[in-house]
Amino acid sequence: MRTNRFVPYLFLLPAVAILALGLLVPLYNSVMLSFYDWGFGQPWSARRFLGFANFERLVTDPTVWASVRTTFVFGFWVVTLEMLIGVGLALLLEKAVRGASFIRTIFVMPLMIAPVVVGLIWRYLLDARNGVINYYLTEIGEALPFLQALGFKTQTWLADPTLAMVSIIVSDVWQWTPFVFMIVLAGLQGLPGDVMEAAFIDGANWWKMTWHVKLPMLRNILLIALLMRIIDVFRALEVIFIMTGGGPGSSTRVLSLTLFQTAFTSQDLGYAATIALLLSVILIVFSIVLLMFSNPLKDKADF
Amino acid sequence: MLRRLVTLSLVLLVGLAVGQSNPWEAYRGTTIVVNWPATYHFELAASLIPQFTEETGIEVELDSVAYVNMRDRQVVEISKPGRGDLDVVAWVVFTKGEYVANQWITPLAPFLINPRLTSPDYDIDDIVPAFLLAGGKVGGTKGYLEGPGASLYGIPFSPETSILSYRTDIFEEYDLEVPTTYDELLETAQFITDNVPDVYGMTTRGSAGHQVVHAWLLHLSPYGGTVLDDDFNPVVNSPEAIAATYALKTILENSPPGMAAAGAGEQDAAFLQGQSAMYLDRSIVAAEALDPAKSRIAGNVGYALHPVQEKCGSETGGFALGIPSNSQNQEAAWIFIQWLTSKERDLEIAMMGGNPTRTSTHANPELQAMYPWYATVVEQLPCADADWRPLIPEWGAMNAPILGDEISAALTGQKTIEEALDSANERLRELLDRAGYYGW
Repeated sequence: MRTNRFVPYLFLLPAVAILALGLLVPLYNSVMLSFYDWGFGQPWSARRFLGFANFERLVTDPTVWASVRTTFVFGFWVVTLEMLIGVGLALLLEKAVRGASFIRTIFVMPLMIAPVVVGLIWRYLLDARNGVINYYLTEIGEALPFLQALGFKTQTWLADPTLAMVSIIVSDVWQWTPFVFMIVLAGLQGLPGDVMEAAFIDGANWWKMTWHVKLPMLRNILLIALLMRIIDVFRALEVIFIMTGGGPGSSTRVLSLTLFQTAFTSQDLGYAATIALLLSVILIVFSIVLLMFSNPLKDKADF
Repeated sequence: MLRRLVTLSLVLLVGLAVGQSNPWEAYRGTTIVVNWPATYHFELAASLIPQFTEETGIEVELDSVAYVNMRDRQVVEISKPGRGDLDVVAWVVFTKGEYVANQWITPLAPFLINPRLTSPDYDIDDIVPAFLLAGGKVGGTKGYLEGPGASLYGIPFSPETSILSYRTDIFEEYDLEVPTTYDELLETAQFITDNVPDVYGMTTRGSAGHQVVHAWLLHLSPYGGTVLDDDFNPVVNSPEAIAATYALKTILENSPPGMAAAGAGEQDAAFLQGQSAMYLDRSIVAAEALDPAKSRIAGNVGYALHPVQEKCGSETGGFALGIPSNSQNQEAAWIFIQWLTSKERDLEIAMMGGNPTRTSTHANPELQAMYPWYATVVEQLPCADADWRPLIPEWGAMNAPILGDEISAALTGQKTIEEALDSANERLRELLDRAGYYGW
C-alpha cells in the first residue's frame, strides 16, 4: 500500500507548530524588541523606536563585555573541571566496585536539588562568621598552626573578588559534575563488549583501553555532554544570584545576570532583548563549532 | 416565635446603634481588595481588619504577598485599562515615582477635602513630615518632594528612619563616650575592634547591589552629599560623597569578616549575636534586640542619634498606602487607609510592635515607656532626610545596577574609591541622558 507522500508531514505538523510557537515567536519578539525602548509594565503603545541604538550601546557597553569575560572565565573552569572529574569518576565507577550503586546515588543527589536551594546551601556553608567551612578551616589552623599560612583560617569567601569566583565555580562543579558522570557512565555501559574483549585479548592495559578504545568510541557522547554543559553555563543564574548577586563589585556578574538585571532591575526591556541576542549568538557559534567536530544527529558511523 | 422576635429586634437595635456611630454607612457592604506585603508590621495591621469591618461595614479581602513579588503583582492589576481588581496598594517608597509616571495611582486630595469622607480628627499634619514626603508626595521641582507642583498620592505606613544602637555593657566597661559625630564614630569603632576581644566596632550591609547602596546612603546624607544635584546632574563623586565612602570603608573594616557580602539579615545578626558593638541602620533592630529569643544582647542596648558630620541626616524609607486609578471603590479604599493611619490605630499598631507614622504616636509616653528607643527616634525625626535618595522613576536602574556595582568594587579593592565614584557618576549621567533629563 502506498501512503500519500504528504502524510508524514501531516503527522509532523503538530510538533513543528508547537516548536514554532514556543521558539520562533519569542525569538521574533525578542529581535523586534531589541529595536525599541520599552519599559517594564508599560503598555506596548508606550514603546519608542530606536533603530540600531541598542546595538550601538551594546558594542560600547563596558559592563556587558566585562560580564562576557566573566562568563568565559567561569565557563572555562566549570566545564573543564566538570568534564575531567565527571569522566574520571565514570571510568572509575564503571565496573561493579563494592558499594558502587550507593556511591552513584550519592553523586547524583546534587542534580536533584533546586538551584535556589543550592545557592542557599553554599551561601550558608561559606558564610564568613558562621559557615561550616570556615569553622573547620580555623579549627584545623588552630590545631596545626603551620597550616595557617596555607589558608587554614577565616576566609571571606563571598566578600573577596577572587574567592567569590572560586566559590561559584566550586558550587557549580559540585552540582553539575554528576550530570557529566551519568551521561558518560551510561555511554560506557553501552559500549559493545566484543570490542572490549578483542582489545583485552590484544593485550591492551586499562590505560590503553581507556585512551585508545573507550574514549574515542564515546566521542559523540562526550561532545553532547560538553555542549550541554556549555549551554547551561551561559544560562547559570540562580545559584550565582543568591550566592553573590554578581559581586563583590561585578566580579561574578555573568552575562545572564547582567541580562536579568537589565530586564528586571533597570526595567529596560529593549536593551535586555539586545543582550539576549548577544547571548544567543555566542551560544549558536559554540554549538556550530562543536557540531563541526562531530554531529551525533548526522553521523552514525561511530556505532 | 417569641425568641426569634427578640433576637430580631436585638439585631435591629445593635444595627441602629452601629449605624448612628458610623459616618460611612453609605459604604456598608462594599468589598475592597487590599494588596500589601507579608511583613511583620502589615501582619499586625491585618489583625485589626475585623475591627474595621465591624465599625464601618466595609468588607476587606486581603491579598498579602511576599515583598519581592508585590510590585509585579500590583503592576499587572493596576496597569489594566478599565476596571482594576485592587482598591488599596502598599508600595515601597522608591516605586512611587514609577506608579505616578504611569498614572497607576490616584491623588488623595479629592478624598481629603471631602467633609463626608474624611474625619476632622484625621489631622494629616500629625504625620511625620519627612515620612509623608518620602512615601506620598510626587511632583514639585525635584519630582519626589514638596513644592508648588507636588501632590499627595499616598499615606506612609510602616515607615522607618535610622538611629545608632550600641552596647551599653561594652561602653561602660571601657568607659567610652557615645559618638555624636562620624569622626568619633569611626574612632570608637576602631578602638572597640582593637581592644575588645571577639567584638568588632560596628556591623554593616555590604553585598553588591541595593544592600551596599543602602549602607552608603546612610552615611552620604550626614556627610552632606546627595546623589543628584538640583538640576538632576549626578554628583556621586563630590568630595562629600568621597568622604562618606571612606567612612563606609572604615566601618566595613571594623565589622566582622565577610560583611562585604552581607545583606540586612547578616548585618542585624552580627549585632544581635553580640559580635558588633554598634549598629547604625533601621531603628527597627531595637525591637528585635529586646527579644531574648532573637537576641543575646537584650537589656544591654542603648540608643543615640544618628551621628552627624557636615549636617544631621537619617534614613527615610518604608512603605506607603494609596489607591489605584482603576479601582472601582476609591472612597471605601480611602476610608480604609484613613482608618488604618488614624491616631488611634497608629498607636495601637505601634504598641503591638509596628512602626508608627505619626508624631503624636512617637511622643506617646506609654509607648516610650514600653519601647525606650522612641524617645531617641522623636529627637531624630527632625533630621529624617526626605531627600535621602532621589525617588525618581529611574532610581531602580540607578540603585543596584550602577551604584551597587561600583561601590562594592571600591569596598573590595577592585577600584579605588575615587575611580569607582567617577565611573558611577558617568554611568548615572548616561542613564539619565537616555531617560531624557538633559534633552532640553
